[in-house]
Amino acid sequence: MAIRSPTFKESYYEDIKLFQTIWIKFWVAVLVLGLVLLPIIGDPYFVYLVNLSCIATVAALGLNILTGFTGQVSLGHAAFLAIGAYGSSIMALRFNTPFWVNLLFGGGAAAVAGAIVGIPCLRLKGLYLAMATMAFGVVVEYLVITWDGLTGGVRGMNMPKLAFAGYSLDTDEKMYVFLLVITGLMLAAAKNITRTRVGRAFVAIRDRDIAAETIGVNITYYKVLSFAISSFYAGVAGGMYSYTIGYIHPEHFTLLLSIQYIAMIIVGGMGSIVGTVFGAVFIVVIPEFIKLFAQGSAKLFPFMKDRYDEEWNIAFFGLLIMIFLIFEPGGLYSIWTRIKVSFKNWPFTY
Amino acid sequence: MSGLAVGSMYALIALGFVLIYKSTKILNFAHGEIIMVSAFICFYLVSSYKVSFWLAVPITMALAGLLGVVTERFVLRPMLGEPVFSVVMVTIGLSIFLRSISGIIFGHDNYIFPNPFPTEPLNLGGIVISHTHLWTMVVAVVLTVIFFLFFKFTRMGLAMRGTANDQDTATLMGVNVRKVFALTWALAFIIAALAGIFLANVMVLNIGLTFVAISAFPAVVLGGLESVPGAILGGLAIGVIENLAGGYLEQIIGGGVKDVTAFVVLFLILMFRPYGLFGKKEIERV
Amino acid sequence: MKHLRFLAARLTFLFFLLASLAGAVLADERGVTNDSINIGLVLVKTGPVAALGLPNGQGMVDYMNYLNEQGGINGRKIEVIWEDDQFEAPKSVAAVKKLIHRDKVLTILTTGGTNQTIANMDNINRYQITNIPNALADEFFVPLQPYIFAMGATYEAQYQCIVDYIAEDLKMENPRIGVVYAKKEYGKKGLDTIKERAAKYNIPVVAELVLPTRAVDASSQVLTLQQQNANIVITCDVLPPVITFLKTAEKYKYEPVVFGFNWATDDMIVKACGDAAKNYIGVNFVGGWSDDTPGIQLVRGLQEKNKRDIGLTSLYINGVGVSWLFGEAMKRAGKDLNPDSLKSAMETLSNYETGGIFPPVNFSSESHAPAEMVKFFKADLTNKRLNAVTDWRKPKKMP
Repeated sequence: MAIRSPTFKESYYEDIKLFQTIWIKFWVAVLVLGLVLLPIIGDPYFVYLVNLSCIATVAALGLNILTGFTGQVSLGHAAFLAIGAYGSSIMALRFNTPFWVNLLFGGGAAAVAGAIVGIPCLRLKGLYLAMATMAFGVVVEYLVITWDGLTGGVRGMNMPKLAFAGYSLDTDEKMYVFLLVITGLMLAAAKNITRTRVGRAFVAIRDRDIAAETIGVNITYYKVLSFAISSFYAGVAGGMYSYTIGYIHPEHFTLLLSIQYIAMIIVGGMGSIVGTVFGAVFIVVIPEFIKLFAQGSAKLFPFMKDRYDEEWNIAFFGLLIMIFLIFEPGGLYSIWTRIKVSFKNWPFTY
Repeated sequence: MSGLAVGSMYALIALGFVLIYKSTKILNFAHGEIIMVSAFICFYLVSSYKVSFWLAVPITMALAGLLGVVTERFVLRPMLGEPVFSVVMVTIGLSIFLRSISGIIFGHDNYIFPNPFPTEPLNLGGIVISHTHLWTMVVAVVLTVIFFLFFKFTRMGLAMRGTANDQDTATLMGVNVRKVFALTWALAFIIAALAGIFLANVMVLNIGLTFVAISAFPAVVLGGLESVPGAILGGLAIGVIENLAGGYLEQIIGGGVKDVTAFVVLFLILMFRPYGLFGKKEIERV
Repeated sequence: MKHLRFLAARLTFLFFLLASLAGAVLADERGVTNDSINIGLVLVKTGPVAALGLPNGQGMVDYMNYLNEQGGINGRKIEVIWEDDQFEAPKSVAAVKKLIHRDKVLTILTTGGTNQTIANMDNINRYQITNIPNALADEFFVPLQPYIFAMGATYEAQYQCIVDYIAEDLKMENPRIGVVYAKKEYGKKGLDTIKERAAKYNIPVVAELVLPTRAVDASSQVLTLQQQNANIVITCDVLPPVITFLKTAEKYKYEPVVFGFNWATDDMIVKACGDAAKNYIGVNFVGGWSDDTPGIQLVRGLQEKNKRDIGLTSLYINGVGVSWLFGEAMKRAGKDLNPDSLKSAMETLSNYETGGIFPPVNFSSESHAPAEMVKFFKADLTNKRLNAVTDWRKPKKMP
């Protein structure tokens, strides 16, 4: 007797559709509704956190494309963010160009830098690649500090508020809408990339690059492209960052930041777009929860008062990376899929 | 010549890295934290428990070795068989964790490390050098020789190299992989402890010691991650380069070039020799 | 089985949520009720540069507790909520937002160092946060910032005083200055100020060398300075690299007169370097720990009472001083305490003494400038501390 398979798709198009069932569309609608209501229900600090998550998501997307999909380890991601942030700030301050020009310029500058870095890195693998990208990060940090005529060096740069057509986005809520739109666009773009031949080439390089080359994938072109796209995302995220915080300083873009982004994609799930969002939000929000919990419980248990330090948060962060890697290498995304599957199969779980 | 002295300190740090890499193919990002923690342990032994310095050093080394075994058992063992990138990330996570826990336990103050050596610098035929630096170089050289011989000629050394190459085959051939790993990590941590004690001597003891290890990375990669003499040479080279850069380039280009130079050199070397100066090219099979 | 796990997970989540909400505070005036005042503090508590900030915050908190023991301010008890920013501007901005929106504090004593305060400029003005930055840059009071009050002496003033001292007090035959600085704003400002003023006295600056904050060794700097025959070295670096420098100089038997600014002037220098610090002269805008003024005695008393184990004692003094000023301002604002009345009250502190902790404070509605006065301290090797060798002095007025 023929075995029924659970998939009933009849064309390739159906297989790669973004919203496959009516249920998914429903839940997406709920999510959108939630996002719209968020600034109304939440206090400005909460909205600020969401803004930070959006920036982190875009940056993490870039890194996931490079490391999760193409398998190129990069410890220099913060450097591209710096290029994007400083690029857009310089354009905004010197030339007074509209915000989308600044963002695109920031992204573009970072993309060019990414391509330039990608070329010498073609031969490098694994740890050596990580070292090289780390070295690049250090060099960029140094350049930003030293070239202070351009970047303001250790005084930092102040960014004017984002404004267009006379309307200024000066509150967190207004920035929220803007950031959300950009994040949404970048997410859609990323998801689309993974569905095309470019995305498939990336994955091929990650899994078995020598084999990929033998079947005709031009790994030189695609590796450099991956670097460029990933850096573009980082650059845009950098621009978003400078508009949101309003002040940039070379010390914001250190190796530790690069490591944070790697943590986001590991925790969220490498090689998964949705996972990236999870990871980014998780890493941004969890420290706040911990802090909230520690300080809130101080009212109930007096001994907790004043015991809480940021240091605990960082310790927890390190611990988190280790735990996820040891116990859940697929990240939050794999946990999510398991939950979804269990819901789908309920009550027939075993 | 202080370039050589600083370089030998880097070399000592690099040695620990290479040891772990040669045996387990893992680059241990937490090495810097181990250095710092051991220095603190030694400090507390001497200051709070009033142990004599010369006794405190072996105790610290023993504790470091123990820490190595424990780390291997609980953090690295579950990661056997996972892709290298994940393991490296675990060490990064470990380093972050250790750094902040140390911050909580030890605090962030600067402490003065006990100095057993006389503070008068020696004058060896015109070259002024402090005792600490001299001893660092001596220890570095001695350890290098020991480990070089160890890896080449002893059974255990061979076992370690075999395990690094291919864990499965090594197990099939009867090598007790678990013991090999435990031993490796213990040894590496012991070296790190020594490095930490020397380092704290030269500088002020505080949490910032971990960042010195990051400067040692170029040393390791320069020499090639696979090779013990490479690590030492790499360390010395970076030390000298940094000092030369400090001396000459700074006048021209302006300050701060010193730190970056090491990384720029690293980047350039990797472009032309992707496996470092002495590393072996990896043969990949499809 | 899995159901139970899900249930457990949901209950834990709910518990977390409720525990968090327990922290919400309700108040009519922001941060002020009939019997309590909520004040925020954003300062580095942990992280790589914690040693340079932790005692400061401790001083601030301890003094506020002391005021509570005296009965509080106009019958209200003060509660300080200290957010740790690890000396990073993004964290500082987030902390400020949290303190204002979530904890609804009356004001924030300080929003952190120079970078952090600049990043928060917008928030400070929007939310009327009267504060004293833990930073000494002149852009905080020139032009007048309504809510920022500056303390002590700017980096510019400190280095000007140092060069004045070299010209007038040191009386060296052939002074040749070498500058050792860090690539931070205080480093650059220091370097520029020194060069400018030394030129006015016709004293040559023979070397300008970078010494990074995390330097392990200062050999190349020392050797270059020796080569250039610099007999005076002015450092624009915080404490740890200055210690490294002094120790390295000792190794090479290089014994110039070494000057340092306030973040490097602390008893710790003598404790850490011993003999190597014998030619060290530091400036600071707080009194010395061993001074016998009423203010400093109070500070020492607070440290003993709270059993604080302090590394950089000068920072603790600084913190107590800042809280003192705020305490006085809140008292003067009276029963009707709110962000605006606090700001106006601060502006009434004219010629106000803090018993030897700070030089006399002079705020007004036109100027929130600091006193711009420092004391010089020399090393006292026998007692392992710094002793004041001058009274409060300002930089000379120069054309």
